[in-house]
Amino acid sequence: MKLGFKHEWIETNIGLMVVITMLAISVAGMVEIIPLFFIKGTVENVAGPRPYTPLELRGRDIYQDNGCFYCHSQMIRPFRDEELRYGHYSLAAESQYDHPFLWGSERTGPDLARIGGKYSNAWHVQHLIDPRSVVSQSIMPGFPWLATTPLNMSDIEARMKALRDVGVPYALTKQEYEADVKKFGPELAKQYYIPNAQQNIIEQANANDYDGRKNGPITEMDAVIAYLQSLGNQVDWSKVNENQLVKDR
Amino acid sequence: MSQNPSQQGQQAVQTTGHVWDGDLQEFNNPLPTWWVYTFFATIVFSIGYWLIYPAWPIGNTYTRGFDTITYVDKAGQKVTSHWNTRALLMEDMNKAAAFQKPFFDKVLATPYEQIAKDPELENFVMATGHSLFENNCASCHQTGAQGLVGHYPNLTDDDWLYGGRYAQINYTITDGRHGYMPTFGEVLEPAQIDDLANYVASLSGIHADPAKVAAGRQLFHSDTAGCFYCHGEQATGRHVIGAPNLTDQIWLWADVPAHHTAQGKIEAIRKVIYNGVNKGVMPAWGDRLSPVDIKVLTFYVHNLGGGQ
Amino acid sequence: MSSVAAASPYALGADRAAAGVEEYNFDIVKKFTIMTLVWAVVGMSVGVYIASELAWPFLNFDIPYIEFGRFRPVHTTSVILGFGGSALFATSYYIVQRTCQARLISDFAASFTFWGWQACVVLADASYMMGHTTSREYAEMEWPLALLILVVWVVYMNLFIGTIMRRKQPHIYVANWFYLAFILAVAILHVFNHLAIPVSMFSMKSYSLFSGVQDAMTQWWYGHNMVGFYLTAAFLGMMYYFVPKQAGRPIYSYRLSIVHFWALSFMYMWVGAHHLHWTALPDWTSTLAATFSILLLMPSWGGMINGIMTLSGAWDKLRTDPVMRFMIVALSFYGMSTFEGPMMALKEVNALSHYTNWTVGHVHSGALGWVAMITFGSLYHLIPKLWNTRLYSVRLAAIHFWLATIGILLYIVAMWISGITQGLMWRAYDQFGNLQYSFIESVAAIHPFYVMRMIGGVFFLSGVLVMVFNVTMTILQGKREERQALAAGGLAGANV
Ligand code: HEC
Ligand code: HEC
Ligand code: HEC
Ligand code: HEM
Ligand code: HEM
Ligand SMILES: [Ca+2]
Ligand SMILES: [Ca+2]
Ligand SMILES: [Cu+2]
Repeated sequence: MKLGFKHEWIETNIGLMVVITMLAISVAGMVEIIPLFFIKGTVENVAGPRPYTPLELRGRDIYQDNGCFYCHSQMIRPFRDEELRYGHYSLAAESQYDHPFLWGSERTGPDLARIGGKYSNAWHVQHLIDPRSVVSQSIMPGFPWLATTPLNMSDIEARMKALRDVGVPYALTKQEYEADVKKFGPELAKQYYIPNAQQNIIEQANANDYDGRKNGPITEMDAVIAYLQSLGNQVDWSKVNENQLVKDR
Repeated sequence: MSQNPSQQGQQAVQTTGHVWDGDLQEFNNPLPTWWVYTFFATIVFSIGYWLIYPAWPIGNTYTRGFDTITYVDKAGQKVTSHWNTRALLMEDMNKAAAFQKPFFDKVLATPYEQIAKDPELENFVMATGHSLFENNCASCHQTGAQGLVGHYPNLTDDDWLYGGRYAQINYTITDGRHGYMPTFGEVLEPAQIDDLANYVASLSGIHADPAKVAAGRQLFHSDTAGCFYCHGEQATGRHVIGAPNLTDQIWLWADVPAHHTAQGKIEAIRKVIYNGVNKGVMPAWGDRLSPVDIKVLTFYVHNLGGGQ
Repeated sequence: MSSVAAASPYALGADRAAAGVEEYNFDIVKKFTIMTLVWAVVGMSVGVYIASELAWPFLNFDIPYIEFGRFRPVHTTSVILGFGGSALFATSYYIVQRTCQARLISDFAASFTFWGWQACVVLADASYMMGHTTSREYAEMEWPLALLILVVWVVYMNLFIGTIMRRKQPHIYVANWFYLAFILAVAILHVFNHLAIPVSMFSMKSYSLFSGVQDAMTQWWYGHNMVGFYLTAAFLGMMYYFVPKQAGRPIYSYRLSIVHFWALSFMYMWVGAHHLHWTALPDWTSTLAATFSILLLMPSWGGMINGIMTLSGAWDKLRTDPVMRFMIVALSFYGMSTFEGPMMALKEVNALSHYTNWTVGHVHSGALGWVAMITFGSLYHLIPKLWNTRLYSVRLAAIHFWLATIGILLYIVAMWISGITQGLMWRAYDQFGNLQYSFIESVAAIHPFYVMRMIGGVFFLSGVLVMVFNVTMTILQGKREERQALAAGGLAGANV
């Protein structure tokens, strides 16, 4: 009765109701999200994770567009079975350049966080075109159009600029380029230099035989496989202090 | 329902007195007691949880909770940390290691030839090898390791590209392989390739045109085609470069088994000579699997039937 | 109909009636109601199709537009935004007008929300099939569509709050509290979750403002509350009107309404991280999510208790009235999935259930059992009222009820079994502590359950088709009666 009496006030005043509701629903986000930007160790301090090269970036976009993430997680949990099956548990640091994150919420297919280097390019080509020709019981769809669709790289610079705006260290200026050289070494810094993006795509695709047609047309297949092969092998675990990773959580 | 009549009776007293849309009203029943107590119980539970585990952010840190976990790290050091998911894994890995490490130590200490003499150890190695194989290798070599003609070699027969001795298999797994045979389509005349195909077919007892076989044999051993450099004088292959034995009726790249006529079989062989082979990439596992895992796999693969 | 409304001497209503304007804008309610059914058919047909793709992958036909990964968000968007959204617009407009005794403040704005919303859903579906997505679950539409939704939402908010401000009665009815919280929360969630930089003004592509762990937390803060406020609170609003109406009894406990409303509003927002247990998200966040999920159990059940106890005075009707049956089953599934949810939010349970079909089973026990069933029940009540007639066939509604119930059971039982199978197979060890199964063995093991789920979906969809037939006949009947009344020179206009 006492409670009802007080509530009368709110339920007869729409303005008050709006304000109190807004307050009630705002607290959680402030307590749970904002500290993630400030608490040290939330993103672990390890060497290795790096932004994507322009070709890998396009591959990631295509991975996203085709909805691969609905079936494939990219987040290995700290369990022994996952360690045995997929490798070292994933770190927050490993997705620090991922806008958006692609951790996934289902494992209709296996986790791909450390798929890079596990299989050959030729395997990926065959598997993406016709999964059941290599894994007879697979339920993964085929993506044959990846092999025939030329990679659109006309807006690669705009894409990298947008990512630069949200904090990925792609370089537009000489200074930014120098900073990248210091942080990632000259090879990668070249890849991150936005004005050279198209040239970089062509060179990386031609230097590696991603879709099995060296010097052939550059396709979406090249990009997706370049992306897959870049996943999960950037951290040198022998240089990582495991006890610090534990402390960070 | 039993309280029905009483509710009905109290209706006038119990509603809040407001009416919407003609007949929408509200009883003013109290909160069910069991509901209130259960709600309190969940609150008590939560507070307990917050005390035990990491929970509340404060400034740029957070409460760690009272629970702790002690584990032994890679350096053999005992480490105690607040309860968290990663420490939990460490503890779990310690437990598994306590059970598995003696086996793995024994595997490392035992030469390949001796493993089979210790049935318990052999059991362990075969089970572990099976698990490693199915989770890492079967995507290519297929479950059971029978391979896939045109793509991935069969590991259960005694035909080896790179040799079937322990050391050779171990090397193959650790460092990977990339077999390469040049494209002959642009170097040789179509007729020459046809001759070569007939010859290679004849080596496996496929019925071929004798005249073409003779011409092909010539070419095979000549500098024009130069096949013998890689496949050997007897066409029985050379393990150092992964050139296969062409006389054993076992095919990897030429999809011979799929064809039922001699013509079809020869055509399949012709295609391989014309195009060459460059997609035979076996990934290197040295960075992904530990040396002892690779030793286990080597024994396992060797034991599948064709080990030499 | 309502004696209060009929007797109400309010000038506005009377003026409008005199000017030929009806007291309430039911036209907009009718439009949204029809689209609810259209989207039910579309969304659930796509659901059955993608379920079949998982059972028989050749059904992808190598066609990009219907490939599983592109088609799946077409399902979720069509059912959540199309079916669920249209149902919420329809019922909220109906309820807010009737319980405030006020017409929507603007017909134009109402119409705009209709066309705007339908355009959003159609364009979003098309864009996924074309390969444009933000990849944020339940917020996959790219930035131009996200902006369009925002505009529609702001108009909706104004319309809803504006109408409440014109209410003829000082007290705001409890259903409206829930709709209000839903509208406010979705606005906040939508804005923060869509913060992104477009590649250019002419590109569909954008990149999220946040990355990695912060991005994940923001997305699931949104994701869970799409569940909490959209799929739950808003449908509780629906429940709080149609259940007492259908039962012809007052709400069981006003006090319970208050306590559980505020508890839900406050606590839902905390639990998003239960979608990220054991990930690279810090453990403290996870702990808060787990505990608040447990704390949510009783407040959630508050709604179920209020609904079931309201119906319980009318048990006798349950045997004869399929509409009541839809409602009681909906409330039972609501109770069940809000029990299952907190259990899955415990870290140990989630370690097994996460990434598996168990989650999908949980989703659909909420989505089919609660969201869809309460909607069907409410529409069976609403549609005859809107078209001023009686339901064409109660028998068909009963058939629908059984098709739907069997469909749900097949669906969630299949997903539980397969989910637990997956979870257990992934972590099974042989006697030496090695992984017992390869991943593909787990894929093969659940094939029969993918088939069973598909069959469950066919049952559920057939029920919807029966409903569509029943509703079409009801509407035609209503129109026929109206014509007959006019022809008879009856007082069609004054028919209150
Ligand atoms: C319908 C669900 C589904 C979709 C969509 C899907 N996959 Fe898969 N994927 C699977 C399944 C199931 C497997 C396991 C069987 C196999 O290897 O084919 C798999 C396996 C894989 C593997 C091998 C992983 C391993 O460790 O063996 C890769 C790589 C892969 N998928 C990449 C992709 C990419 C890239 C896309 C999108 C272009 C994609 N997948 C879309 C279901 C899917
Ligand atoms: C990406 C596909 C792929 C995977 C994964 C793979 N292999 Fe291979 N493997 C190949 C190919 C292709 C060859 C043949 C190389 C060649 O033709 O030069 C090969 C060759 C071999 C050989 C040599 C066969 C011979 O006849 O000499 C062995 C032994 C072998 N693999 C074992 C393994 C083991 C053990 C694993 C898992 C740890 C594994 N492979 C994983 C593709 C693969
Ligand atoms: C530079 C070395 C080299 C030369 C020269 C060469 N081969 Fe090969 N050949 C190979 C290798 C290596 C493979 C296996 C490729 C692999 O496993 O990746 C192979 C495979 C083949 C196969 C496929 C066998 C199977 O199991 O399907 C045929 C047939 C063949 N060679 C015939 C020829 C003929 C005929 C010539 C001459 C015209 C020739 N090769 C010249 C290295 C060579
Ligand atoms: C005929 C009925 C339905 C069928 C056959 C069906 C089928 C499916 C399938 C196959 C998936 C994909 C699961 C996966 O990726 O493994 C899915 C996902 C989903 N469906 Fe349905 N569905 C139906 C009805 C509904 C309804 C009515 C709703 C909501 C009101 C709904 C909401 C969802 C949601 C939210 C997901 C995403 C689940 C997740 O990401 O975990 N579905 N559905
Ligand atoms: C108190 C109530 C609830 C709690 C605490 C809860 C909790 C959870 C948990 C723990 C998960 C699994 C997350 C994961 O492992 O990935 C989940 C998933 C989900 N739940 Fe609930 N749930 C509740 C009620 C509901 C209801 C009523 C619905 C109704 C429709 C629903 C819809 C969903 C959806 C759509 C997902 C899938 C999200 C994804 O895409 O991964 N939940 N919920
Ligand atoms: Ca999901
Ligand atoms: Ca062999
Ligand atoms: Cu949730």
